Amino acid sequence: MISLKVIGSFIKKEFRQIMRSREMLIVLFALPAVQLLVMGFAVTNEVKNLNLSFLDYDRSATSRALIQSFDSTDRFRIVPVSNAAKPEELISAWKASVVIVIPPGFGADYGQGRQSNLQVIVDGIDGNTASVANSFVAGVVGDFHRKRMQETMHRSPIPRLNTQVELLSSMTFNPDLRSSLNTIPGIIAILVTVTSMMLSAISLVKEKELGTLEQLLVTPVKKAELMAGKLIPYLIITLVQLQVAIVLAGLIFRIELAGSYGLLLLFSMIYLFTTLGLGILISTRVASQQQAMFFSWFIMVIIILLSGFFVPVQNMPRGIRWISFFNPLSHYMTVLREIVIKGSGITQLMKELWILGGSGVLIFGLSVLSFRKRV
Amino acid sequence: MIHTEHLIKDFGAFRAVDDINLDIGKGEIFGFLGANGAGKTTAIRMIIGLVLPTSGQIIVDGLDISKGSEKVKHKIGYMSQKFSLYPDLKAIENLEFYAGIYQIPFRQALKNIQPIIEQFGLQDILKNRTEDLPMGYKQRLSLVAALVHDPPLVFLDEPTSGVDPQARREFWQVINDLAYAGKSVIVSTHFMDEAEYCHRVIIMQDGREVALGNPAELKAAHSSATMQELFLKVLGEDNAKPE
Repeated sequence: MISLKVIGSFIKKEFRQIMRSREMLIVLFALPAVQLLVMGFAVTNEVKNLNLSFLDYDRSATSRALIQSFDSTDRFRIVPVSNAAKPEELISAWKASVVIVIPPGFGADYGQGRQSNLQVIVDGIDGNTASVANSFVAGVVGDFHRKRMQETMHRSPIPRLNTQVELLSSMTFNPDLRSSLNTIPGIIAILVTVTSMMLSAISLVKEKELGTLEQLLVTPVKKAELMAGKLIPYLIITLVQLQVAIVLAGLIFRIELAGSYGLLLLFSMIYLFTTLGLGILISTRVASQQQAMFFSWFIMVIIILLSGFFVPVQNMPRGIRWISFFNPLSHYMTVLREIVIKGSGITQLMKELWILGGSGVLIFGLSVLSFRKRV
Repeated sequence: MIHTEHLIKDFGAFRAVDDINLDIGKGEIFGFLGANGAGKTTAIRMIIGLVLPTSGQIIVDGLDISKGSEKVKHKIGYMSQKFSLYPDLKAIENLEFYAGIYQIPFRQALKNIQPIIEQFGLQDILKNRTEDLPMGYKQRLSLVAALVHDPPLVFLDEPTSGVDPQARREFWQVINDLAYAGKSVIVSTHFMDEAEYCHRVIIMQDGREVALGNPAELKAAHSSATMQELFLKVLGEDNAKPE
């Protein structure tokens, strides 16, 4: 018979201890806010303010107009350089991340409808930024070309066949391509993971260090009561933190929850069985709080890196993708993004529900087995 | 109340407790004596079910502890060698927590321990944070915490180490009162003068029993004037380094 009274005593005690520790309160509520702010603004795939230099060997009206058209967007900042500079040196000196070389005769060739070439040299160190920059350049040049064509047609209205295919793209769910819409749910998922795992990883081993665990083992407290008494407070604290993070995300990043709040809460609770279980598993196996910290960081770094937060899972090599499939954070992150951004319902998230549920049962079960009531 | 038969505990190749046979009655103060590492703590930890014996039998109040019985734990109060209350809780919150764990209404628990709280002079520090208390008060509080559920069996593992002589005397006064009230008190100590307060003692060396009986009778049998002398005699001088 499990006694709710005993569990209640534990919950009361845990909350007293946490609420009395200023450090703990800072870790639980101030740090997440800072993390959300800093990471929310900093972790962005948006490419802006790229340093762009032109080596204009043409110096024609056309080349100047082309340069002018790059000036009107916030994607690029034009850094003037002398024509004697070498593109590779500009890039290696961090002066420019994109260099466009306009060869002599460009204006004349272009004006007469001959093949005209531009050389674009992009800093390829960050492949993602490089390819985005490249497509921006192509976009600006394309616009430039289209405008010119229209002007020519006005002047000599001879109808020509236009065989170009135009793409009419629209970005659903995130029309402005705001990177924060994608990263903030990711950060929230990481916060929830870190808090719950840290709290539970320290929980038992802290009592082991204090000697209070031994004292508890002499009492008639049952294993289930002890675990519930420890985990329920952590579950509550993590959910409160989740709530704070969602409110902050709304206030600061204007991210409105598109889906159901209840569903988000349900998935979070299911997910927490996995992270709390992992923490308890660590806590039962280590001898000191230091070791617990070390192990939980080790595991967290791996699951965060493979979660699809920094690198989309589909970009990973096949073997790693398989590991990611077994990474609960990866699925929880998907769920958060789906619910927050797309407003997906439970029918679209059945696969994640099964996976997270399964991992919760498995890992939490293991942690229960690994905890023995003897020292 | 407590009965052990051929109690043995091995830690790997090291035999910490070797063939201990005891019978401890109701209302008895029973002392475990011995140098550090003699096996006192391990023996006590086996009896209260913290450590499973390698072999042998332990019956506590009619229940077989060596088979891992949990039922008897309501009847056991244990004060560990290491101070083990929550330092960040107030003294009274620690007591409230343990009362909750034993499923005893806090009011009832306070009634159980009120006389001891007064005897120890703890009334005024109950609202203090446990970690801010001086060592002597911490020890007293630990004993009180072990008594919230009014257990018939009280185990005290070196309760008086690090406590000044005045406080030690108070401690033993309380222990006496507990025994007088019918509780069995099992104490381990390496203070030989304290052994005099026990009804019976076991002197242990390297996990084995070297003497067992009433302090006065043991002294007479080994023609020693004090417990200290008896202790050194039965252990052989070179092994005995009581502090």
